Amino acid sequence: MLDGERRSGAVGWLFRVVILLAVVSVAAFAVLHAVPGDPVIIALSVQNLPVTPETVAALRAEWGLDRPLAAQYLHWLAGFLSGDWGVSFRTTRPILEEFGRRVPVSMALGFGGLALALVVAVPLGFAAAVRPGGLADRVARAVTVLTQAVPAFWLGLVAIWLFAVELGVLQAFTGPLSERLVLPILIVALYSLGSLTRVYRAELLAAVETPMYRTARAKGLSRPAAIWRHCHRRGLFGLLAALTPEFGWVIGGTAVTEVVFGLPGISQFLVESIGARDYFVLQAYIVVIAVWMLAVFTAADLLGRVLDPRVSR
Amino acid sequence: MSGRSGGLVALGLLLAGFALASAWQPHDPFAIDLASRHAPMSLDHPMGTDHLGRDLLSRIMLGAGNTAMVILIVATLSFGLGSLVGVTAGLAGGVFGTVLIRSAEFVIAVPTLILALTITTLFGLSAVTAGLALGLATWGPYALLAHALTLRTLGQPHVLAARSLGVGRTGVAARHVVPATADTLLTYLASDAGRTVVSYASLAFLGLGAETSQPDWGAMLFEYRGYVFDAPMLLIWPGLAITLTALALNLALEPRAGSSRFLASKEA
Repeated sequence: MLDGERRSGAVGWLFRVVILLAVVSVAAFAVLHAVPGDPVIIALSVQNLPVTPETVAALRAEWGLDRPLAAQYLHWLAGFLSGDWGVSFRTTRPILEEFGRRVPVSMALGFGGLALALVVAVPLGFAAAVRPGGLADRVARAVTVLTQAVPAFWLGLVAIWLFAVELGVLQAFTGPLSERLVLPILIVALYSLGSLTRVYRAELLAAVETPMYRTARAKGLSRPAAIWRHCHRRGLFGLLAALTPEFGWVIGGTAVTEVVFGLPGISQFLVESIGARDYFVLQAYIVVIAVWMLAVFTAADLLGRVLDPRVSR
Repeated sequence: MSGRSGGLVALGLLLAGFALASAWQPHDPFAIDLASRHAPMSLDHPMGTDHLGRDLLSRIMLGAGNTAMVILIVATLSFGLGSLVGVTAGLAGGVFGTVLIRSAEFVIAVPTLILALTITTLFGLSAVTAGLALGLATWGPYALLAHALTLRTLGQPHVLAARSLGVGRTGVAARHVVPATADTLLTYLASDAGRTVVSYASLAFLGLGAETSQPDWGAMLFEYRGYVFDAPMLLIWPGLAITLTALALNLALEPRAGSSRFLASKEA
């Protein structure tokens, strides 16, 4: 049921996506080839295999590194698209399998933190807008000031020390994954809370300036009721815009938290792999993050069109 | 604002401490003394010593140098690249300008961690390369801001007058556009200094900053992270240094009003 204009929009979108993914994958591919040191020799020595001209040549041929660069790129791309992402030297397991195990952990951390932040941000921002300068407003401001100055990883270390060592209420590293996720999710939530609350509050206060709000008050609604009934919707729109980049960072933005808490997510995998010069993991990570970001921004765009018909015209 | 003046006072104290630290430290920050490993806080070692017997206070004092250097590198790159790309895109317009602005938007979407990994992989680990990576990760918003300001300046009467008097593009850019954008850009640059402190510390904590032999706050936390159970004070002091510095910078250099939506934050 697409009319002509929309269809051309969809084609344009598809075109842009393909161009963007091509740029990203070429960049990811180029990184591997710009790296000082031969990945073949690194892979051999990591696996304690003898580095002789024969073994180097054999592995080079196996990876297709003896072919021209363009052919290598197409070979890598074809492999990537068919699910052959290569093998991690360090863990000796297929990279796709590693990502399959680790993406859910990263997602649980990212989405859990974001959901918790949202659940707190709406009532907090609402209370802050009802009484600007009041207690809720000052709490929200304190959270923002604090999270802009305290590094997340350090707060994580302090939390481990406080809750796992001093108070002994949580097992930071040895318990089941669900227990190990509690503190990290709280920290991820705290770091999204400040900006989400600020955006929601600002939108509510902007809506309070409109004639619509004055009319509602004139009808006899109290300030909280008028804000809830007539300004809340606008606040949600503001939140949606602020949430788009937050969703984009869900799987790639929690690296330090994953590392501090030793959570087996993809960013921790990336950091460990780079230490071991496992560059194929870096390639895969870049493409995975790019695809995820594209998906999030496209979904936000579509949702925005559904909610606000003016955007699609 | 009381927060602002408090921040300014704290910033002044930090700068005075930094000036002192670059000239004198109570102990040699590199001196390993295995006999006095994990010494508790004392008059001789006000913050105690680390697992190699190095004086923690001296290391933290000297560590301020890396932080200051990274702030300078990041600010220079963000400002330089951002205003170059933004002003050029605004003056050139057309397809070229669009490509420049799209590239800035693309850079905004690239995770800082990936950029930092790539750059440190290519150029080696050090505070300088980490600073370069952060600078390359953060110029995008400045380019968008410079672009918007350029377009606004170009439409103003005095610029139109200059154009009609025969002043060329470069003349207009040098005399009218760059000064008009620089002012606003510098305000945001100052307000980003605190964020740079935290971002750099995060990279160093992931092992992507200075090497651990160097006194460096983030690298110290990376080196000491295994002592959270046995010697937590090793983690408290460098973290406090980072937090207080970032807090002082944020409070002192916060822009007074206006939209910070251009400069949406990016986690490292």
